[in-house]
Amino acid sequence: MNWTAVLEFARGPFFKVALLVFIAGMAYRIARIIMLGWTKDRVPPRGSKVEGAAISFLKGILIWPFIPWVKDTFKRNPIIYIAGGLFHLGLFVVLILGTAHMLVWKSLLGFGWATLPLPIVDWLAAVAIVAMIVLFIHRLTNPVMRLISGWPEWLNLLFVFLPMVTGYMMTHHLFFRYEVLYSLHMLSVNIMLIWIPISRISHFVFYFFSKAIHGADFGKRSVSP
Amino acid sequence: MNTISSIAMNTFVKETGGYVAAQLEACTRCGMCADACHFYVATGNPEYAPVWKIELLKRAYEQRFTLAGKVKLALGVDKAITDEEIQKFSKIVYEACTMCNKCSMVCPMGLQLGPLIHEVRTSMSNAGVVPDDLMKAVNKQVEEGSPLGVTDDVYDDRIEWVADEWEVDIPVDVKGADTLVVFSSIEVMKFPENIAAIAKILNTAGEKWTLSTSGREVVNFGFYEGNEELTKLFMQRVFDAAKELGVKKIVVTECGHAYDALRWTSYNMMEVPAGIEITHIVGLIGEYVRSGRIKLKAGAFDDGVITFHDACKIQRRGGHIKEPREILNILAPNSFKEMSPSKEQAICCGGGGGVIAIKEADPVRYAAFELKIDQMNAIGADAVVMSCSNCRLQFTDCVQHFNLNVKVKGLSQMVADALVEQEV
Repeated sequence: MNWTAVLEFARGPFFKVALLVFIAGMAYRIARIIMLGWTKDRVPPRGSKVEGAAISFLKGILIWPFIPWVKDTFKRNPIIYIAGGLFHLGLFVVLILGTAHMLVWKSLLGFGWATLPLPIVDWLAAVAIVAMIVLFIHRLTNPVMRLISGWPEWLNLLFVFLPMVTGYMMTHHLFFRYEVLYSLHMLSVNIMLIWIPISRISHFVFYFFSKAIHGADFGKRSVSP
Repeated sequence: MNTISSIAMNTFVKETGGYVAAQLEACTRCGMCADACHFYVATGNPEYAPVWKIELLKRAYEQRFTLAGKVKLALGVDKAITDEEIQKFSKIVYEACTMCNKCSMVCPMGLQLGPLIHEVRTSMSNAGVVPDDLMKAVNKQVEEGSPLGVTDDVYDDRIEWVADEWEVDIPVDVKGADTLVVFSSIEVMKFPENIAAIAKILNTAGEKWTLSTSGREVVNFGFYEGNEELTKLFMQRVFDAAKELGVKKIVVTECGHAYDALRWTSYNMMEVPAGIEITHIVGLIGEYVRSGRIKLKAGAFDDGVITFHDACKIQRRGGHIKEPREILNILAPNSFKEMSPSKEQAICCGGGGGVIAIKEADPVRYAAFELKIDQMNAIGADAVVMSCSNCRLQFTDCVQHFNLNVKVKGLSQMVADALVEQEV
């Protein structure tokens, strides 16, 4: 098999198509939600909705899940809270502060930024992969998770797991030739990009809607969200 | 095509605006809400996970609005919602959910699961799949004006009796009063001492207040059911009375769901008479204490360990978290101790949302209360105070059921008992 050709295809036209599907798909979904209609809230508030929303985001981004014990329920499921938090931390660091990915962003956006040293990024990538395995086992064994998991949930895990593992193997030149790993990495990334708009991985966008709603609902009652 | 499922389906679709859809889209199905639900924690039944309670709403949304959902339906991966499913979920959302919204506190996406489950109940209500016991209470409120059988005559008798028994003035149907106070029939029938207490507080504060014989029931069983028309009808009775008497303020007494309906929902459902403020009795008493309109005997209840139970609809979803604490810190500065968790993170009593009215829900209701028992035992509480009659009904019933050595108290009553008489 000619891996050089596969790689050229995966990082060339296929990547462009996948990126386009991702952007168009997400734009469509956001537009549809916005256009579904929002009834005006006529309830006289006791507190500030904007303040509530701001606190909701601050708590969401800063406190949860990095200081997860602020939540009482954390005590019941500490490993899952930590795994969820570390997975997202690792993911964002690798995607944004990893040198290789920054260069991809640079080629797309036209500008770059300072990155973290490879060993740090590498460790966080490993942590994120382990966290995913923990989350997978949890989904497999917990009765609630089994009840609410259909094939889309399993595919979500798979399609995120593959790019992470192939990326990690790539940096460490494990098992296969570099071109093979690079091809597999790009192929899995492309599949994930196409999958995101039709799946719940898209939560990273709707997070901003639901967190704002949550914060405003609590803020107007002058209750801490 | 008027099957249960098609009616429910149409309601789901009608309800799905941006508010609902954006939240359904944000759900990652991480399952964390399960551990926040007292019914799930108490029973371990995975079907009680809040995320599962909105499953039908989510499926309806996907099937009607999203491409992925339509594809799934076409491929047979997802099936159309059946009558049996609606019936099954009806049991879950009515019997094992108080819509206390504690789950939204742990949801990483901040989904307002309580309000979303209320939407599910609305579909059930439209499709006519509501537990019999709840439906009986709803019908009673439609016909007699009260789910507990407080007819006009009963109401007059009870109020007169309370006024006599506790020697307190209770103005009724006074035109030109400033404040209309609306009690719940739980108070009228089961906690009449609460009515006396609130009357005493209002009189001491020099409030120009009145009751109304036409707008005399604050409980809203239509809201429990999720029936929009009846929810409006029951609130309209109160609003009509307020307009007729020309009051500036409506005070909801110790009923949580009623407060949620009148204070936080009515404005978006119907025309609320202009210039009328709606507040809760705890908010009003808090104001009196802060402004010095009433004075309380400091340390009047400083004995043993006293704790406060936060009602989901008055504290977490009502916002009156500070007032009870300010009051208890005066009444019992040394004895007052918080349960953990408390305030907006508090664990629900397990009897709200109409659950206590459904006989078949008794096992899960008692199971859920065991969480409260653990909380009270952890601080060695001798007495528990609350500001919601529905919680109080649940606490009194459960204290008896479990044979607990804990006193159940209403906040208004403690305030009334600690009033320092003063010149008005």
